[in-house]
Amino acid sequence: MSVAPPRPDAALKAAGRAVFATDLELPGMLWGALVLAPVAHGRIRSVDLAGARALEGVVAVGHADLARLTGGLSGDAERPAFPRDAVTYRHQPVAAVAAPTLERARAAARAVTVAVDELEALASLESIFPDWPGSEAGRSPHVAAHVRARKGDVEAAFREAELVVRETYRTASVHQVALEPHACVADVRDDRWTVHTSTQSPFGVREDTASILGVPESSIVVDGTWVGGGFGGKGASLLEPYALLLSREARRPVRLALTYREEFLLGRTTLPSVVRLETAVRSGQISARRVRLLLDVGTSLPGRDFATGYSIGFLLGPYRTPAFEVEGYAVRTNKPPFGPHRAPFAPQCAFAVESHLEEVAHRLGVDPLAFKSDHLWREGDSTPFGQRVLPFGLGEALGRARETAARWTREAPPGHGVGVGVGFWSTGTGAGGEARLRLSPTDLTIVQGEREIGSGSVIVGLAAVAERRSGLPRERIRVAYEDTAHAPFDSGVFGSRTVGALGRAVDEALVTLLGRLAERVGGAGPPTLAVENDEIVVRVGSTERPIAELLTDAEREAGGLEAEGKHYGRGGTIDESLVLDGTFYAYTDFTGAAHVAEVAVDPETGTVRLVRYAAFHDVGTVVDAASARAQVEGGVAMGIGTALTEEAIWSDDARLENAGLVDYRIPTLGEVPPLEVTFVSGHAGAGPFGAKGLGEPPIIPVPAAIASAVRAAGGGHVTELPLTPERVARAVKPH
Amino acid sequence: MSDGSLRLSVNGREVVLDGVPSDERLLDTLRWRLGLRGTKEGCRTGGCGACTVLVDRQSTLSCLALAHELAGRSVTTIEGIDVDPLGRTVRSAFERTGALQCGYCTPGFVMALTGLLAERERASSFDELLEDLGGNLCRCTGYAAIVRAAALARQERP
Repeated sequence: MSVAPPRPDAALKAAGRAVFATDLELPGMLWGALVLAPVAHGRIRSVDLAGARALEGVVAVGHADLARLTGGLSGDAERPAFPRDAVTYRHQPVAAVAAPTLERARAAARAVTVAVDELEALASLESIFPDWPGSEAGRSPHVAAHVRARKGDVEAAFREAELVVRETYRTASVHQVALEPHACVADVRDDRWTVHTSTQSPFGVREDTASILGVPESSIVVDGTWVGGGFGGKGASLLEPYALLLSREARRPVRLALTYREEFLLGRTTLPSVVRLETAVRSGQISARRVRLLLDVGTSLPGRDFATGYSIGFLLGPYRTPAFEVEGYAVRTNKPPFGPHRAPFAPQCAFAVESHLEEVAHRLGVDPLAFKSDHLWREGDSTPFGQRVLPFGLGEALGRARETAARWTREAPPGHGVGVGVGFWSTGTGAGGEARLRLSPTDLTIVQGEREIGSGSVIVGLAAVAERRSGLPRERIRVAYEDTAHAPFDSGVFGSRTVGALGRAVDEALVTLLGRLAERVGGAGPPTLAVENDEIVVRVGSTERPIAELLTDAEREAGGLEAEGKHYGRGGTIDESLVLDGTFYAYTDFTGAAHVAEVAVDPETGTVRLVRYAAFHDVGTVVDAASARAQVEGGVAMGIGTALTEEAIWSDDARLENAGLVDYRIPTLGEVPPLEVTFVSGHAGAGPFGAKGLGEPPIIPVPAAIASAVRAAGGGHVTELPLTPERVARAVKPH
Repeated sequence: MSDGSLRLSVNGREVVLDGVPSDERLLDTLRWRLGLRGTKEGCRTGGCGACTVLVDRQSTLSCLALAHELAGRSVTTIEGIDVDPLGRTVRSAFERTGALQCGYCTPGFVMALTGLLAERERASSFDELLEDLGGNLCRCTGYAAIVRAAALARQERP
């Protein structure tokens, strides 16, 4: 059988030798535990640490200790490490303890007395706005952020429409479920606050931690470990401030890790939504859309604007819309803060808009895919918000998906159904990053500040960019990691931005480096690197010189010739005159995918089984084929969970009822069907060599594709995620 | 709390441990007493398979097994996998097919697949083998690459 060349981390990881944050043990290390709030909402009367401190070897910190530990500086007023007055979600950390053993740390946490006057908890969107969308959310005190925009004469379009379709969709809370729980080890010595941690963004953790604790960023060193899965859940600080405070107090290293149950309870992830979609059609074309969104953001502070303002564009979808009105409410509840989860909230948006437009097409009596294809943006079109569409291969991807869907539909036995889902995304190439290269006579080293989170975007993607630019074979290119005290700045491994943005910084550094070599060699033509007799040489036209001969003494001393590159991207702009309230966001590039699913549905039980799956992606330029394919395989599987089984269930008093992997079910090996992956090329993005990001897009169309297939199989029109057997069975036989 | 000393064979080496509480999980004994941290801690409830080890060549969830219950038995962790030619083949198959991304579930998959191949006849079907791997979760790969690794390991098994 054919075997792709292994990733550079494959040997280490397959042998279990990769050291994750959960595996770290420093000499003299104490074990930490958090004291978690016993209610979802309440007024704190007191947090008494005396019982914990009475145990041998235990240190404990709470709100009253903050000023003493951080030197009296003031932390972030909106995001205090520990609440002083009010608990706003169940299991919110109210104190932290550390002890020589984990057992004693847990005993100490139990010995802390927390006195809280319980208040009524805001548990769900339905309890706060029971009649919505029949009523307005208006200026409720529970609305944390509000966005609104409109274009054209929406009322007239709806008045004059030949068809109006109004539907309500509901989506569930889903968890990232990275298999590695959050963990870190803090080690504070004098004024150097070091934390070894599993993070998608060392510099982001430095910034967050500095802000929360009120410690200067220059005093904090964040050292990333291998990351056992991120998916957005490890993009911001979580445990680091507590571990640092404990280490400061104990004057010893302190390990703090979540149990998997706590991972669910404290995780920042996607919360439920209710989406109202209304579409007006005239002459067979969409004439206007109304979109209203109620999004549960928990106690979210940082995410409140973005969650609504960015998501709402995805509810319009990548379709030409002459007139629209959109309005989004970020609703505060007593749940943990909303946080990013692989393509935050986009799979849910795609599920709603794709299912809705399919319903519109059915009522018009036209082929849904032809209807969507007719309305899909093409390069040079204007988005509803007035941004010009950059090179965009989604039309081609949808065309290929339609061919596959037509063939599979012909082949499908009774009880099977074939569906197509479209997903649009803009990858985060706007967020900045920097890289430093060092070329020695034998190796090219990329020095940068991100740890590999699994996707391969750092250790494979950055090397692939350098290989493509220089011609140097991959085995001579090393991606080196440094902590925040030594690495050039980078925003983080999120938003599908690593190859697109940090890769641009690597590429720019390499162009600079090659230019310097060309000057030293002389000659005409673009310089490239190659290996001759085990040594790196530079070629310019017909001239070839070993690197060893081109280095100055100082460069030789420093280990090679260095060059730096930066990429701080700019997004496009939207027509701000359309914005009536809040913030809406422009896209940095235009990417997406069309997916085809074949399912078998049991109409009695409502059980859905995936039979086969095909994914067509616009990724601009594929920089590494094996990693690109692997991203799609993983993203589709995660999307299958969002589509069929994953739902964090919150009780009426805001308690998470299925905080564990037995009750919260992610796809297992047998539940992921055979998958065909195809990349459409020639629609260049903002990344190096026209690459677009690929970490997030593969999850986006999955729930939409599966819902479409379920409907085609006779499973009915389900308007709620996930498509549980109960919901599917109910849609088959509506009462 | 402790039940006297505990004798185990771990990766072919006899170990004697004192002061191990009677309720200590094998996972914690391996990771924090013996420093064998290639065995990963995931859910601790038997739901993810990240902590899978072999006990007398049988795939076992170390988060559910009590260390004292395994007194006198032979435990193999990922650190000792290469001693077993079958284990080496499986590990190498994961490596060569790049059947991993973050790598956190990988040691558990290598151990589980080794255990399953060890207990089965050559003739048993590949689909059944995959079905029995269903207790191990992976969130990154979508399992496609793991299926390729399993096929390679099964084909090459000594």
